[in-house]
Amino acid sequence: MTPLRWTLLIVLLVSSMLIGVMFGTLRLGMHDVINGLLGHASEMNNSVVRTLRLPRVLLSALVGAGLGAAGAALQGATRNRLAEPYLLGVSGGAAVGAVLAVAFHAPHALIPVIGFAGALGAVALTLLVARAAGGHGDARTVLMAGVVVGAFANAAIMVALANADAMAVRGALWWMMGSASDASWTQVATLAAFVAVGLAILLAMGRAIDVLALGDDTAAGLGVNVARVSLTVYVAGALLAAGTVSAAGLVGFVGLLVPHIVRLAGARTHRSIIGSAALAGAALVVFADLIARIAMPPAELPLGAVTAIIGVPFFLALLRRLA
Amino acid sequence: MLLSACASEAKHSAAITDDFGDSISVGAVPARIVSLNTTTTEIIYAVGAGAKVVGRTAYDIFPAEVKNVPDLGPGLHPNVEAVLAMHPDLVLLYASETNREAARQLRAAGVRTASFRIDRISDFARVTRLLGQLTGDTLAASVTVDSVNATLQRVRSATATLPHPKVFWPFWESPIMSVGGGSFVNEIIETAGGKNIFAELPAPSPTVSFEELLRRDPDVIVTGARTQAKLAGDTRWRTLRAVREGHFLIVDSTIATGPGPRVGAGAESVARLLHPGVRF
Repeated sequence: MTPLRWTLLIVLLVSSMLIGVMFGTLRLGMHDVINGLLGHASEMNNSVVRTLRLPRVLLSALVGAGLGAAGAALQGATRNRLAEPYLLGVSGGAAVGAVLAVAFHAPHALIPVIGFAGALGAVALTLLVARAAGGHGDARTVLMAGVVVGAFANAAIMVALANADAMAVRGALWWMMGSASDASWTQVATLAAFVAVGLAILLAMGRAIDVLALGDDTAAGLGVNVARVSLTVYVAGALLAAGTVSAAGLVGFVGLLVPHIVRLAGARTHRSIIGSAALAGAALVVFADLIARIAMPPAELPLGAVTAIIGVPFFLALLRRLA
Repeated sequence: MLLSACASEAKHSAAITDDFGDSISVGAVPARIVSLNTTTTEIIYAVGAGAKVVGRTAYDIFPAEVKNVPDLGPGLHPNVEAVLAMHPDLVLLYASETNREAARQLRAAGVRTASFRIDRISDFARVTRLLGQLTGDTLAASVTVDSVNATLQRVRSATATLPHPKVFWPFWESPIMSVGGGSFVNEIIETAGGKNIFAELPAPSPTVSFEELLRRDPDVIVTGARTQAKLAGDTRWRTLRAVREGHFLIVDSTIATGPGPRVGAGAESVARLLHPGVRF
């Protein structure tokens, strides 16, 4: 990645965030937005900008950054271009927690917490299953274990929803499709802490992930503790994904797609792949959330549906280039 | 001529057609009724056949004595064997596609099965009269319908000339699902002298965005006590004028379960909240 490309990425992110704050159902001029940010606009415009849009844009950016970075690190550590954070059981576990919370009418504020606990539980289960299967630190075994835990989670969701009333089912479904619509400053602060820690760990592992690409034996020969590096990346990636899921539900395709984009854009070492995937993921989700807000007024679209709609054609184009 | 008119009359009274287009004979008065729709359950009790109900949905709470009837699940996609195990001679289903196969299976097992789509207040009158025919008490059905219609008419005339406040009535907060124009609750709001801010949306419970809500700026929010506490303490919701100024109208949220025999009283209770001090 050349300095010019880094600059372009940052410009892309900042401009997507500005556009995200500027547009919405309510029409605000540039003047209103700037005054709103400074707290000098009308009471209504101040709160639209500061209480509704700004936390929402920031939360979307953090979700994208977390998923992009986690996806990049996991694809590197597993040497599998189809790896993504949700494959580690995170999405399934979080969804089970959230769906149970919705189906049993738990207080709304508890849903992210229960979702997060579910995600952690599923990750622990995935690593245990992989270990029991004898694939300690083996990327393929971990991914397979994640798929199995995910399938089990899906079954648990179906059971939980079988007797739920229609509104609860719609609420649970909405959550599973992802949305930043409930963004609050508390959520932004919590997720920011998660992303800062997770991203720092993954960036620090960048070199080791580069070495892993040479093969386990070569890496071990070069003094890299393969099992420890893999485990650290799984856990940090899973924590990042769990944090984003508890803030905005399941936002698909970002963790899978963004690492491919930044590699195509010229990122080579894992430190730069992970860092640029965080920036590009942030820009992508901010943009997707804007579309979710304004595409179908007065309704909102689920964020995960928008990222998938943007992601699929992108991915098909990538496939053509790779094939 | 006269004879054929009589014949068609006899034919007409011998069977009714349900909302799947199936015909149900109106011969024998049923002795064991399974009702898998909370609204039909309430109607069956209202027309005096409640003692015959031997199965209900998990959501039935009206009237209170229905609690003693066996619970046969959520009502959509019913467990047909569990229904048959109650040995019913009349099964009432909600006429949605998910129930079509169950209706077919129950009929194949020789059980009279009638499926109704009761979504609007007009459906209430229509289905109540049909159920009166099925249960053999058309007079009780007429009395029920007339009484509800009279209440609705009284409330409507009392509020017609009053100013209509802008009403937001949420079904759910995340995502925000509002009462839409396709819901009978929209009819309740209009009858009670309010203006639903999402009345022009055709869906019964459309999802709406928060900014749209801000843009439409409701005067009052109709909701239950628990939701009020939640919204009143939430920073985001407080950007809404009605929340900041505490303009909540607390209703019994079971009004919104379906347009049943309580729909007249429901409209009246909403009208009293929307227009305090007015006599109904």
